[in-house]
Amino acid sequence: MIGLTDASLSFGALRLFEGLTLGVPQGRTTAILGPNGRGKTTLLRAMLGFQALDRGHRHAPAIIGYVPQHGASQAKLSGLEVVIMGRAARLGLFGQPGPEDVTAAHGALAQVGAENLAELRYDRMSGGQRQMILIARALATGSRVLVLDEPTSALDLGNQSRTLSLIASLGRIRDRAILFSTHDPNHALAVADYVVLMMPGGAVLQGPVDRMITPGLMAELYGVPMQWVRPADPSGRSAMLPAFTGKEAA
Amino acid sequence: MRLLSYLSIAVLTATPALADPILFTDHEGREVALPAPAERIASIPIPMASTLIAIDGATDRLVGMNPTAKSAILEGILGRIFPEAQDIPSDITAPNFIPNVEELARVNPDLVIQWAGRGPDYVDPITNAGLNLMTIMYGTEERTRDYMTMAATAMGRPERIEALIDWRAQVQAELEARTAGLAQEDRPTVLYLLRAMENLRASGTENNYNAWYHGLAGGRNAAEEMVGGWADVSVEQVAAWNPDVIFLNSFEADLTIDRILNDPILSMTDAARNGRIYKMPLGGYRWDPPNQESPLTWIWTAELLHPDLFDYDLRAEMRAAYRVLYDHDLTDAEIDEILWMDMQGGQANYAQFAAQ
Amino acid sequence: MTLTSQDAAPRRGLFSLRPGVFPVLTAGLVLTMLYAISAGRFEVPFGRILEILWARAQDLSGSPETMEARIVELVRLPRVLLAALSGAALAVGGAALQGVFRNPLVSPQVLGISQGGAFGGALAILLGFHGVVLLGMSFGFGLLALILVGLLARIDGRTEVLTVILAGMVVGAFFAALVSVLQFLADPNTSLPAIVYWLMGSFATATWPRLGLAVPGMAFGLILVWALRYRLNLLALDEAEARSLGVNPDRERWFIFGAVALMTGTSVAVAGVIGWIGLVVPHAARLIVGEDHRRLIPASALLGAAYLVVIDTLARTLTAAEIPLGVLTALIGAPVFAVLLRQHFSRAGAP
Repeated sequence: MIGLTDASLSFGALRLFEGLTLGVPQGRTTAILGPNGRGKTTLLRAMLGFQALDRGHRHAPAIIGYVPQHGASQAKLSGLEVVIMGRAARLGLFGQPGPEDVTAAHGALAQVGAENLAELRYDRMSGGQRQMILIARALATGSRVLVLDEPTSALDLGNQSRTLSLIASLGRIRDRAILFSTHDPNHALAVADYVVLMMPGGAVLQGPVDRMITPGLMAELYGVPMQWVRPADPSGRSAMLPAFTGKEAA
Repeated sequence: MRLLSYLSIAVLTATPALADPILFTDHEGREVALPAPAERIASIPIPMASTLIAIDGATDRLVGMNPTAKSAILEGILGRIFPEAQDIPSDITAPNFIPNVEELARVNPDLVIQWAGRGPDYVDPITNAGLNLMTIMYGTEERTRDYMTMAATAMGRPERIEALIDWRAQVQAELEARTAGLAQEDRPTVLYLLRAMENLRASGTENNYNAWYHGLAGGRNAAEEMVGGWADVSVEQVAAWNPDVIFLNSFEADLTIDRILNDPILSMTDAARNGRIYKMPLGGYRWDPPNQESPLTWIWTAELLHPDLFDYDLRAEMRAAYRVLYDHDLTDAEIDEILWMDMQGGQANYAQFAAQ
Repeated sequence: MTLTSQDAAPRRGLFSLRPGVFPVLTAGLVLTMLYAISAGRFEVPFGRILEILWARAQDLSGSPETMEARIVELVRLPRVLLAALSGAALAVGGAALQGVFRNPLVSPQVLGISQGGAFGGALAILLGFHGVVLLGMSFGFGLLALILVGLLARIDGRTEVLTVILAGMVVGAFFAALVSVLQFLADPNTSLPAIVYWLMGSFATATWPRLGLAVPGMAFGLILVWALRYRLNLLALDEAEARSLGVNPDRERWFIFGAVALMTGTSVAVAGVIGWIGLVVPHAARLIVGEDHRRLIPASALLGAAYLVVIDTLARTLTAAEIPLGVLTALIGAPVFAVLLRQHFSRAGAP
């Protein structure tokens, strides 16, 4: 369980949140949704303990599997070595990773389906490959809490889809809490059980995904009219899109 | 004694013309013009302060000097001969020879003496302040005689400098007469250590005054393969040279012959085994570099390198020189102190310098 | 550089410690030291040197009697060992700092440690002290510089890398100015040449007692960095990322800085300021074993030791005069650094 109780944070006149109580339940996937610049990353950092709160409490396990937006960018190490770093919290100050850590790392790579990346050099991988390695590293920590900062924002469509599928499959593991931030409501729709909305003016709303992702709330969140787009094929997925006037209206 | 006789002849023949302006060229080719003999002289180079005292036989005209020169004077015998030297200002320059113009202006000298060839930072502040400047170049015996003559000219004491220079020429000629014909193998190899407390700094041959007078006194530079004037050498290199004689500098106050005798390597050199390690005496100035007492240095060196070839009475020579240079009668105790008799009286060939 | 692995994929995890590299480096160091002991201005035949060393290994009591034995045992052995130890310490210090700062261009100078140590040593010389006091003051002021950097850089209870570098520049400049003040005050006949000589760096005054003084600080620093070698991989990560992996970068960086201060201060104390080792050697080590500090640290130690032994051997054998170490390391180091700088920026510009 990771969360905040009655937490407030502001930078000068900019109020990010106030009196926020937020809990990410185990066994569920939660998305933090909001446009760019609303403070999604800061909220995540506050929950991870990297950002001090003005007021309130934070509760979190000692070890969290964290996937940063741009991780280990300078590491001229193999994919496997980067994943092994996930075991660091279990090593002492003077500890060295041992065979069991290597085994755990291989297991994490298998979980994300990236065994083939084990021996590639991390700094020469594509953005999608790096994302897989960083997720594997977060899994290698063995933590029951997984936090991903904008896991899809820097990826192309194919890799976005692969990452979302991975998050969905990881979320099916019993008793694991997943928290990720995104600016796309469809990504929340695809994998999240719960959604946290960073509303304009510092309000934070939270609830089950079907109650939160509505044209009304979405319009308020993004400041533009939003609408459902339903597929003709009933087995397809509905999408929440801006109701802008495009070619069809002309 | 010889110096005394030269001086009396010189005094008789000198015809001072005090009213005439004084003109001469210094070591940077500068025309120095003084309306009258300089009465107030500030000296920035270190050895020049004691040289000025020697040329004048008094401290009256020295109105400023290098702090390092002052401490050397006060620590040595000159401070006891001229106790008034402790009142001479020493803040006209930093030890590194950069002049302090405010202080210079305050002591208001007729003439400022500065090193030559060190660039405008060292001389411009003096000339810009409108002070008369004379620059001198360190190094060879010839330059030493030059700048001593310049200083004497500026002070209106040509008769004294003639005597001092004749003395130098005479002693040099006497030594040359005995040593010029020496074969290389008859010349002991000599190592002079300018530094020895931590690192070992040896004299090369190029423009090196010490190497020059070691040759004059019948020695050979053990470090002659070395390029340049001075360089640090390893203890192993000294072992490889294996010098016959080692001279230790008088600059490092704590340095004694024990430094060599207690060193596991240096104590195995021929010089150490044969008791031929000597620390340079500290007289009116340190005997290592060129100064007003240099002929005494040469005699001391020659008697140590070739005791059979020379029969100077060093103590008598010192007494005579100090009478002329400083108008001072050296006691036996003072001579013993200058020559470090306590420390090195037992070294080879050193008994010849003991009081009779 | 057949050992280079710039393009080859590194092998898996723990087992990427390619067994061949370290025996080769170790053997290279031993051979270099043997050669250095056999080289010198005083001629001692190689067979005689082996005899002397063998005799000493058989019987550690007593002291050498012949000139040859004394040269080998009292001059060359401590000198070569001190050069090797200092080379290892300086190279490992450089590699560790480069890891912490995520920048291959930093060196102990950036933390002001060298300048602090230089001031302490110069002050000791000016006051007429040598030996142990000089060592103590050099190390003490090196450490003081580090503490000042720590105090300056600690803002709101946290230290960022950038503030550490800036504070290091400030403290370094301050101590460099103090060294200038000492040179200004120093007696040009006695202490000034001694200070200048010492600042240029030399192992000419190496003895067994001096080696004994250097061993504790350097060995402790080397062991501490070696023990933290995996931590260095983690400290090289982004701050938040490192914290998420259970690293406390604030605190752990200071363990590294403390070890580097210990090694740098001690080396300045026993041999003056020897620049460039910490910059050149880790770069070469990276080309051979890659970026993983578990291999980079020991490789830097072995290469640094061999490199400084070679440099010092050149310094004492090329000419009758001792060539200041600082001159040689800069003559070799500056061009290497220039190449490194160009590579660094051309790579940074590449995708």
